[in-house]
This record gives sequence, structure tokens and C-alpha cells, in this order.
Amino acid sequence: MAAYLSMGEAHRRIADYLSRLDDAISQSDGADLASLLAISSAPASTPLSDALAAFPDFPRLASDRFPHLSDFLPPLLRAIHSHSLRRFGDAYSSFEKAASAFLQEFRNWETPWAMEAMHMVALEIRLLAEKADRELVMSGKNPDKLQAAGSFLMKVFGALAVKGPKRVGALYVTCQLFKIYFRLGTVNLCRSVIRSIETARNFDFEDFPVKDKVTYMYYTGRLEVFNENFLVADQKLTYALMHCNPQSESNLRKILKFLIPVKLSIGVLPRRTLLEKYNLLEYADIVTSLRRGDLRLLKQALDRHEDQLLKCGVYLVLEKLELQVYRRLVKKIHIIQREKEPSKAHQIKLDVLVKTLQWLGITMDVDEVECIMACLIYKNLIKGYFAHKSKVLVLSKQDPFPKLNGKPV
Amino acid sequence: MAAAAPADAKAEAAKMDLLEDDDEFEEFEIDQEWDDKEDGNEAVQQWEDDWDDDDVNDDFSLQLRKELEGGNTQKS
Repeated sequence: MAAYLSMGEAHRRIADYLSRLDDAISQSDGADLASLLAISSAPASTPLSDALAAFPDFPRLASDRFPHLSDFLPPLLRAIHSHSLRRFGDAYSSFEKAASAFLQEFRNWETPWAMEAMHMVALEIRLLAEKADRELVMSGKNPDKLQAAGSFLMKVFGALAVKGPKRVGALYVTCQLFKIYFRLGTVNLCRSVIRSIETARNFDFEDFPVKDKVTYMYYTGRLEVFNENFLVADQKLTYALMHCNPQSESNLRKILKFLIPVKLSIGVLPRRTLLEKYNLLEYADIVTSLRRGDLRLLKQALDRHEDQLLKCGVYLVLEKLELQVYRRLVKKIHIIQREKEPSKAHQIKLDVLVKTLQWLGITMDVDEVECIMACLIYKNLIKGYFAHKSKVLVLSKQDPFPKLNGKPV
Repeated sequence: MAAAAPADAKAEAAKMDLLEDDDEFEEFEIDQEWDDKEDGNEAVQQWEDDWDDDDVNDDFSLQLRKELEGGNTQKS
């Protein structure tokens, strides 16, 4: 518990905080205003929160002193107070009231001077909602605050995504919305904001701040992975990788976590040094299996990391690499045969494939092998045809193993 | 959505799970800027698309060769 605080001292601290807020607004100091609104990272006891605890009549103090901000300041103080008491549900509700009042003011300000503060509000409301929802789940109640924060941020987005100087701040709010939707598993809600960002005629995407562009490309890239649009996913995640803060190792790692499966699916492999540097060795055996044509290793690697890969949603992408590994294996058999007996190298007996697979621990009969080879031919991973009667796969003499060339399988 | 699920243990666990996202992008500081280099981060250069070569001298290929030859001798 905080040390004893006289009413006079408590009053002075609260009045001081309120004056700083009022000054920041009257002097249009967005950075200072933003710093005064960062409440979710505060420890349980701060000079201000101790003062609020010692002076329960603080809402009246705020509205008497600054009547023009009477919708904003009292709920803001309540939010700070509840947060210090670790009553996050209450803190969220009060903060949402303050945030609505702030948004109202922000709409009326013609210039975007308060953008940094608006962004802080957007960040804080998300972080407070997450804390509140955890609290609600713990007490067996329905966690609905994060969803509410999403609705509020849509209003903020609406205030920013308009023609004019405030638009540059819209992408930051978009990214906060993405974080909410991904967490709630309602990623389909991303669509309308994406459309609004991407169809803007009078605003060039490149004019948004780089940190927001990188975050945006990370999330939209992940969406494209879910939708199996690997070429677009590759573009977006590569953009994020290219422009991300080089100091931000954990974000680079997250980008790579999704970009690697995408690249593998179009036949591009990460260097070992990259996997080591970003501690992504769960992909190392998968990469090796592609190089070798080692189906057993692919299966082992997928089994070993199944939970992890399923959780981040790339398991199905990686499972499809099987066809590429088959292709590589057939190619190696073809090369080895060619060295021995060049004239018959383009004939691969299905029997030989069955035995090779057996050697790799995969039991399959001739019909199943034929089916897989048919699939490889259909997908243009192998050029050739079957001599069905003699159970032979006849490879084309010209370019029997066409390169993927960045095309997904 | 997390909302109207029945309150059994499994649903609770799933709800808790929804409140986590291991892959959430870390917040860049609001005023954080960095030098956005023309040629980007070095990680962009760490990829190979010419790996699908004709080299069959790695360990795996040598074993495969043995396997194929073994199969042939059995037959003849």
C-alpha cells in the first residue's frame, strides 16, 4: 500500500496532471499528450494513482477545473484509478468513454496535430481490452471487451480514412484492428478496411509511415497464406521483410515464419544461415528433405513439429511440399539411371519407385505410385506419360523436370 | 466467435486460447522510425532458387544409388 498522502498533496498531483493535459491540448503538443494517455503499462502504484486513491472526489475536481473537457477527463482519471486497482473491466469501460470524447474533439481539430495521441488511444484501448477480457474469462464471464474495442477503432478508422491530412494516420489504426481480428479469430472482418486502404485513389500507399506499412504487409501477407494465394503472400511478406526495422529481430522472425513456407511452396529455399540466425530450425529438415528428395525426412519433420505448424496455420502449406519431394526423388533416380545406362534413363519402372519408397519406409503398391506420378504430370512437375501395360513412367526427353519458376504447385 | 459457447471446460480453454496470438506482430514505438534502406534487409538475400541441380554425390543420393543397384542385382 502507498505511504500516507495528505489531501493537499493528492489534490496537487491530480491538478498537476490535469493541467499538463490541458496545456498539451492548448499548445497542440501531440507527443506530450500521447505520453499522458499511456496508462496500461503503468505499475500498480504511481504518484498519480496514489493521489487518486487518496482523493476520491477526483471526477468533480476534473470537471470543475476543466469544464470544457468534462466528458474526457473524469472517465480518463477513473480508468487510471481502476487500472491501478487491477480492476481491468472497469478500467476498460471508463477508458472507452474517455476515448469516445477524445475522438469527438479530434474530429473537430482541423489539423492532424493530435495524431500521435489518437494513435496512443487506439493502442491503449486494445491493450486495456485484452487485460479486461482475461479478467472476464477468469471470473467465468463472457469476454466481450476486445470486440468492443474493435467497434470503437472502426469509428476511429472512419474519422481518419477520409480525404485530407488525417489519412496518413489511418494505416496505424488498421494494424490495431488486424491485431484484434487475428486474436479473436474474426479475420474476415479485415476485408472492409483492406478495401478502403487499397482502393484509395487520392492517397498513395507508399506515403504511409514505414512501421505501419510493414505491419500491414505482415498481416495481409498472413491472410493471403490462409487463402493460399502464395504469389501475393510472397510479395507482401517479402515487402515486410525488406522494410522491417533491422533491429527488430522478433518481428523479422515472425515475418520469416510465414514467408519460409510460402517460398518453399514456390520452390525457393532459405539458406541454412537464415534459419540459424532467426532460430527457425523447425524448417531445417523440411528444406533438407526437398534438396534430397527424402520423403521419410519430410514426414518426420512434419510429425515432429505438427502442433506448432498447425497453430500458426502453415501445416497444410508444408504438407503440399510432398509433391515437390516426390519430383526431386524421381529426378535423382533418373540422373542415377542416366549415369549407368543413358539409353534407358528416361524409362522409370514403377516397380523401382515402389522399392525406393519401401526403402524410405513408405509402403505403397504400383497403383498408388502410378496415381502419384499421374498427379505430378498433371501438375506439370514432371513431363512424361505412362506405358500403362509395362508399368513404366516414360519421361519426356526434353526438360522432363520443368522448374517451378516461382509458380506455386 | 468466442461469445455464445457453452461453459464447459473445453470451451473455456478455447476461449483462453483466443486471447493469445503467438504470432502477433510486436508494436513498433509510436514515434519509431528507421533508415529504410533501398536494397532492404540482408535477410532478403538469403534464398536460393538454383538448388534443383543434377548433383547426385550427397550422402542421400549415394545411398539411393546403392539401393537402386541392389535392386538390379537381385533381379538379374
